Amino acid sequence: MAEETKAAAPAHTSSSNTKWAIGFITVVLAIYAINKFYLPTAPVQVKTFFNSWFSLTSMGEIMIYILMALGLNIVVGYAGLLDLGYVAFWALGGYVAGWLMSGHFDQWTVNFFGNPPAGLPNGIHLNFLLVLVLGGVFTAIWGVIIGAPTLRLKSDYLALVTLGFGEIIPQVMVNGEDIGGFNLTNGTKGINPVDNIKLFGYEFGPFALADKFLIYAALAGLMIILSLRLRDGRLGRAWLAIREDELAASMMGVPLMRTKLASYAVGATAGGVGGVAFATLIGGVYAERFNFQVSIIILSMVVLGGMGNVWGVLVGATLLAWVNNTGLVQFGNIINSATGKNIDFPSFNFLIFGVLLILMMLFRREGFLPEARVRLIMHEEEFSEVAVVTDDIEVEGVHHHEHN
Amino acid sequence: MIKSIKIGALAIAGAIALAACGGGSSNSALVVGTDLPLQGASADASTATNNAIALYLEKQGGKAGKYTVTIKQYDDSTAAKGAWDDAQCAKNAQDHVANAAEVAVMGTYNSGCAKIEVPVLNQDPTGPMLMVSHANTNPGLTVSWDPGEPEKYYPGGTRNYARVVPNDIYQGTADAQYTFQEAKKTKCAVLNDNQTYGQGIAKSFADEFAKQGGTVVVNEAWDAKQTSYTALFQKIKAAGADCVFFGGIYDNNGGTLVKDAVAVLGDNASFFKMAPDGFSGYPDLQGMPQAEGLHLSFAGKSLDGMVKGGGAAGQFVADYKTKYGVDPASSYSIYGASAMQVILKAIAASDGTRKGVTAALLGGSSPVCLTDAESITGVGFCIDPKTGDVDKKSVTIQTMTGGKETDLKVWDVQ
Repeated sequence: MAEETKAAAPAHTSSSNTKWAIGFITVVLAIYAINKFYLPTAPVQVKTFFNSWFSLTSMGEIMIYILMALGLNIVVGYAGLLDLGYVAFWALGGYVAGWLMSGHFDQWTVNFFGNPPAGLPNGIHLNFLLVLVLGGVFTAIWGVIIGAPTLRLKSDYLALVTLGFGEIIPQVMVNGEDIGGFNLTNGTKGINPVDNIKLFGYEFGPFALADKFLIYAALAGLMIILSLRLRDGRLGRAWLAIREDELAASMMGVPLMRTKLASYAVGATAGGVGGVAFATLIGGVYAERFNFQVSIIILSMVVLGGMGNVWGVLVGATLLAWVNNTGLVQFGNIINSATGKNIDFPSFNFLIFGVLLILMMLFRREGFLPEARVRLIMHEEEFSEVAVVTDDIEVEGVHHHEHN
Repeated sequence: MIKSIKIGALAIAGAIALAACGGGSSNSALVVGTDLPLQGASADASTATNNAIALYLEKQGGKAGKYTVTIKQYDDSTAAKGAWDDAQCAKNAQDHVANAAEVAVMGTYNSGCAKIEVPVLNQDPTGPMLMVSHANTNPGLTVSWDPGEPEKYYPGGTRNYARVVPNDIYQGTADAQYTFQEAKKTKCAVLNDNQTYGQGIAKSFADEFAKQGGTVVVNEAWDAKQTSYTALFQKIKAAGADCVFFGGIYDNNGGTLVKDAVAVLGDNASFFKMAPDGFSGYPDLQGMPQAEGLHLSFAGKSLDGMVKGGGAAGQFVADYKTKYGVDPASSYSIYGASAMQVILKAIAASDGTRKGVTAALLGGSSPVCLTDAESITGVGFCIDPKTGDVDKKSVTIQTMTGGKETDLKVWDVQ
């Protein structure tokens, strides 16, 4: 049985990967083309429809959420390490953009292919691409710094410590206005405005949303390719081995610490790049955004979509991000105007999320689009209960023996 | 069954989408957007503001000069945050610009949100688009404050932002002058809630108090997540303070702060405590026994002052109660109508384009003014065409008596 799936899986996945990739590219290009070429001259009704249901700001936000959910998927889905503090990496990435692409450090004047606003040369203004790379590297380093002591822990303990870091880093940002007289983060006032993106002589101002969407989609696309390639490689297989049985993996010669740290670094990089992208989307960085709920929403995207499966996570991220920023409000409006009531639908956000999660755990634990391996594991109930019981007995016995 | 529901939902969606887009292209029908946090802690104040604006527009017959004006409400908060949200503000700014019939925005409530939206509206290719706020008091939006401010919010080079309330510099200054000159206190502890508004107002209080000749004995932030401030007030007591200033907003655990201050330092009659308008308009605070005798200040005219002053302002508050069955939640809602008044005046004087509306209020040489009789707050003012600030810098000093914010004095900043 196991043999069969193994042999069949790669052929199946690569062909479905192609289909999904074509689908993703088609949707992205369609959104771009509609917004760039059709909508400017479209009738007002059509414009309003697109603007309220599929506004470009929310589409850009969705792409960034996909990028970050895929990053978390490396940690949670591939390596099986529960991370409840992913928002820390978003925050770090966002502040890298704030530091390197704005007038925040007005005591210095640096411009490296950057785009300072007219008449305000002060501050550090680096090129967007460079900031993306630096943001990724910076968060990767922090991923390793946070991971090194943390990853010695397992399961619940690991989750708790990541939760701690997820709380600490945003707090540092909130309180970082006066560190021995140095204004690092500008506190709750945040850093704004962040420079407009400028690439190869073209400036993408606040209204070049379609072009910016394409940039964010390209970043998400890059992360998709990275995730797929990594998974099939040596590192990816080592992650899966750790996820499924850490002890067995280490017995087979997988260096646990180094492999786990690598997953943390890659996941953190995606969070950092996403943070930089988000800062340019809204044109600023605000400490208050980086709260625990964001970590949970990104984790829900991974879990609902299907842990470990890139396309599942993509669907999960798209769906949840859209429901969160557009869907709930719009459906609420429809229901309210149809029934004449005035129900505040967005305020039921977490109730709906919670119920959805419970239903998923009851009926479809593996997510919308599960990874083949995860599905196999999740549907082994018939054996597993017996296996768990015998495991317990064995473990008890061993412990007993040891104590003696 | 499920299929028919789906089709029904689609049909409804289509119908709504079509219904949502009446009017627009005609040049004489203009839209003014209101941009407020409609969810979370500020929801009541925002709803009252939208109501007051709707009532004011109704009284004008929906007209500004030769133009017909309607309102479109935008929400800059999200349920998940329960407060204004940076991404939502960025999205709203795009939506204001995308709505072709919209010529100006009334809002925002929070200065942080305005700092995101103003630069976007400023770069509108058909604009710049005008924003008039009824509640942003952070100085940096209009005058030099933090590095790069306010120029960094106006990348297009021309101003497009005005407000009808004085900024925090004046309120903090007035509070400090009152505390030193009227209450005769000389050693103050200045606290802030570590947020944009709180830090700004605490800074201007501390600066002015020192300038007056007083001493600031403690100057630090309170952490909104703390469960007790007893230690903080013990420290203030030990430092020999005879007054304390709460620079911040009530939402940041202000209730516990006031209770602990009274418990450690004594009641408000024996120990002078003052809070800025971040503490006004909260029924929770008004009903708290420890708040009795607390000094409050309000930038501009208070609701109490408007009602007692009678005239157009008193009439408007009475009309509001008749129409909606309740009193307006705070005087900010009346200032919302005041901001609308300024916008309508600018529209009437313009050619009906965004650029024209902005130019009618800002950038010119003669300011747009409202007389005492005209102004909905009962106090006339002019908008400085260079900065967008109001020229009336009076601050109302209040005290809490019997669970109500009662006016003590109108303080003109010296």
